[in-house]
Amino acid sequence: MADLTTELNLLQQIRLIAGLRLRIFRNGLRGKNKQLDVLGTVIAAVFGTLLIVGFSFAFFSGAYQFVQLGRYQWLGLLFWAIFIFWQFIPVFTAGFGAAFDFRKMLRFPLSLSAFYVVGLAYGFFDFSSIACVCWLSVMTLGVAAANPALFPAMAITCFLFLLINLTLERTVGSWLERILARRRAREIFFALFFLLIISVQFISPMLQRYGRSAAPGITIVLPYLHYLNVFPPSLAGHAIAGAGGHHASEFLLGAAGLTAYILFFSVFLWIRFAAQYRGEELSETVAPRAVPRRVAPSGSRRDALSLLSPQVAAVLRKEFRYLTRNSFAFFLLIMPLAFVLLFSMQFAGRHPTALKHSLSPDTFFPGMMGYLILILMAPAYNCFAFDGRGIQTYFTSPLSFREVFLGKNLMQLTLSAFELAIAIFAFSYIVGLPSLPVLLATLAAMVFVISGQLAIANWSSVSFPRRLNFGQMRGQRQSGMGGLVSFATQLLLGTICAPILFLSRWTHSPWLPAEVFAFLAAGAIAGYFSSLDALAQFAERKKESLIEALSK
Amino acid sequence: MNGAAIVTHKLTRRFGGLTAVDNVDLTVAAGQFFGFLGPNGAGKSTTIKMLTGLLSPTSGRAELLGIDFAQHPVEVKRQIGVVPEGMGLFERLTGSEYLQFVGRMYGLDASTTQCRSEELLEFMQLADRPKTLIADYSHGMQKKLALAAAVIHGPRILFLDEPFEGVDALAAGALKALLGRMTERGVTIFLTSHVLEIVERLCSHVAIIDKGRLVAQGSLEELRAGIPSAEGTKTTLEQIFLSIVGQDASQRPQLEELSWLT
Repeated sequence: MADLTTELNLLQQIRLIAGLRLRIFRNGLRGKNKQLDVLGTVIAAVFGTLLIVGFSFAFFSGAYQFVQLGRYQWLGLLFWAIFIFWQFIPVFTAGFGAAFDFRKMLRFPLSLSAFYVVGLAYGFFDFSSIACVCWLSVMTLGVAAANPALFPAMAITCFLFLLINLTLERTVGSWLERILARRRAREIFFALFFLLIISVQFISPMLQRYGRSAAPGITIVLPYLHYLNVFPPSLAGHAIAGAGGHHASEFLLGAAGLTAYILFFSVFLWIRFAAQYRGEELSETVAPRAVPRRVAPSGSRRDALSLLSPQVAAVLRKEFRYLTRNSFAFFLLIMPLAFVLLFSMQFAGRHPTALKHSLSPDTFFPGMMGYLILILMAPAYNCFAFDGRGIQTYFTSPLSFREVFLGKNLMQLTLSAFELAIAIFAFSYIVGLPSLPVLLATLAAMVFVISGQLAIANWSSVSFPRRLNFGQMRGQRQSGMGGLVSFATQLLLGTICAPILFLSRWTHSPWLPAEVFAFLAAGAIAGYFSSLDALAQFAERKKESLIEALSK
Repeated sequence: MNGAAIVTHKLTRRFGGLTAVDNVDLTVAAGQFFGFLGPNGAGKSTTIKMLTGLLSPTSGRAELLGIDFAQHPVEVKRQIGVVPEGMGLFERLTGSEYLQFVGRMYGLDASTTQCRSEELLEFMQLADRPKTLIADYSHGMQKKLALAAAVIHGPRILFLDEPFEGVDALAAGALKALLGRMTERGVTIFLTSHVLEIVERLCSHVAIIDKGRLVAQGSLEELRAGIPSAEGTKTTLEQIFLSIVGQDASQRPQLEELSWLT
C-alpha cells in the first residue's frame, strides 16, 4: 500500500480540532427538538459577548487610568481579576461533564510534544480563556494608549501571564479530570459545589447581622495581604510597575518570576499529559475485588411494605435506592431547611435583616410552606428522568402503569412529608408556630396542593420526559414544556389558595380557610385516584416517545 | 392454531412514511428455538418490540400462547421474558436488587424472588460483586444480568435481542446450555442475532425479514431445500441468508473498489 500520509504541523492539527469542536457543537443543535437549545445557545452567546465587551471597557479604562495616574502597581488588581476568572470559572464548570475528550486524538499519529501543545491549545477554546485573552489585549491597548513606551513591557508581561493561566488551567483541569473520572467523586464535587452556592446566599444576611462586629476581623487580615505579592498576578503588576518606573531589574525580576511559574506548572502538566499519552485509563469502573460469596439459604422474610401490592412496593424500594445513590439529589434534601433558615433571618424572627418589622408567623408560615412545596414538587413533573433505559422494564412487566405512578408518587409524598416536617420543626424553633387555625389551614392547603399537583405532574412526566443522568450537570436541563406546566400549575394552585387564606380576615371566621382547604384536599385526593387509570392508558399510548426520550 | 406460541396476523408498523414492518404473518410453534434474521434496519427489533409490548402495531395483531396481546397485555406479559435492545436495566441498582425488583414486578413472592435471584447470580457468575452497581458492570455482565432478569419468573416465551453480543465465550457457552435446557422444557425462544453461526447452531427454525417484509420462514432443512447447493455439501445459513435477502455477488460492494487498501 502506498504511504500517502504526511505529517501535519501543529497549526494544522489545532485547526482540525477547532473545526471538529465546531462541527460537534453544530450537530448537537440539529434535530426537531433542538429549537429551544438553539435559542438557549443564542441567548448565552449574547450574554457572553455582552460580558466580554462590557468588561473590556472596564479593563481598558482601568489600565489607562492607572498608568495615567502613575499607579502602575494597581495594574496587579486587574491581573488578579483576570486570574481569578480564568482559573475558577473552568473549575466550577469542569464537573458539568466534558463535551469533548481531546484524548481521543491519541488514536492519531501524534508525538508526545505535539500532544502536549495540542492539549494546551485545547484550553484556548473555553469561554473563560477567550474572555481573558480579550481582556488582556484591551489592557495592553489601554496601557499603550496612556504610555506607548510601556507597550513592549506590557505585551511581554501579558504574554507570560497568558501562558501561566493557560498552563495552570490545563494542569488543574487535567488533574481534576482524573479525580472526577470516578462517578462518586463527581457527585461529591457537585454536592460541595451546590452547598457552596447555597452558602453564598447566607453572606448578605450574615453581613447585615454581624457585619459591624466582623469589621475588626477584616483589619486583622489586611497586614497579611502582602504575601499575595509572590503570586503571578502581583508579579505581573510589579513587572509593569518596574517598567513604568524605569527599573529594568524589577521588570526582569517580575518576568523571571512569571517564567518560573510557567516552567513549574508545565512540569505538572507534562506529567499528566505523559500519563494520558501512555494510555492512562480513566474508567468509571472501579475494578471490583472478587469476594467469594456463598449462597445463603433464604428463609421467608417479612416484607416491611406488605400493605402495598408487590409491584408498588418494588417501585417504591427502587425509588428509595435511587435517591440514596444520587448524591446530588440527596444533598438537595437540605434545601428546605436551608431556605427556612435563610428566609427566617431576612423576614421573620426578632431581628429580620430585610425588613424593618418582622412578618408574623400567621403570614410567613403559609408563604414559607408554599415556597417549599414549589421546590419539593418540581422533580415530580419529570419523574422518570433518572430511569433511563430501565423504563422498558415497566412496559415489559405484567402490570398496569397505575402501579408505577403509585409507587413513584408514594415516594414523592413520603419525601415531601419528611422534608416539610423538618421544615415546620425548624420554623417553630426559629420563628414560632402560627395560630392553630392558620396552622391547620396551611396543612390542609398543603395536602390539597400536593395531591392536586400529582395528577398533573404524572401527565407532564409522560408527555414531556427528559432523561437526566446521575453525577452530571451539563445538559441536565428539564424539558421546557415540563417546566412551563409545573410553573403554570403551581401558579394556578397558589392563585386558588391565597384568597382562601385571607377568607378569615374578610369573614372574621378564623376556621373557615381550614374547612375550605379540607374540602378541597378531599376533592384533590379523590381526583388523584380517579386520574390514575386514565393516566395509565395515556402512558400506554405514549410509551414509544417515553422510551425513546429516556433511552437516548 | 394448536401448539403455536407466537402468531402474528398482518403485523404492520409505520413510522411516518417509513414502513418498518409490513404485513408480517409469523408462526412460531411452542418449544421452538426460533431465529429471527435480517439485515440492519430490516425490522427485527421493531417486530420484537411489538411482540413484547414496547411498541404498538399500526395495524395487524399478535397472539402469544393463544392470547391476543392488544386485548390482554398483562396476561401475555406474565408469560414472557424479554432482553430488549439496550437491555432496559435500572443502572443505579445492584444486580441482586435489580433481580429482586423484577421478580416482584412479575408478582413473585419475596422469598422466591430472593432465592431465584441468588441462584441466577451464581449461575451467571455475578454473585461475587454484590455491592457493584449495574452502571459499573461491563457490557457482557449487563447482558448476563438482563438475561437473568428475563427468566426469573419462568417465562414460557423468551425474547432475546442480540443476547450474545459482548458476552465472553465461557459465559456464552453456559447461556447456550441454559437456553437449550429451557427449550427442552417447552419454553419457546425467539432470538435475533447477526452471528449466523450461532443461529445455525442453536435454532431449529428461522424466519428472515428484509425491508419490513417476511421473506422466508421454516425449519433450517426446509430453507436449505429451497437453495441449490453443490453435490455433497451442506448449505450454510449464511448462504441461505445471502441468497434470500437478494445480495448476490453483483449487489454486494466490490472489494476491487477499494483497491488502494490492498
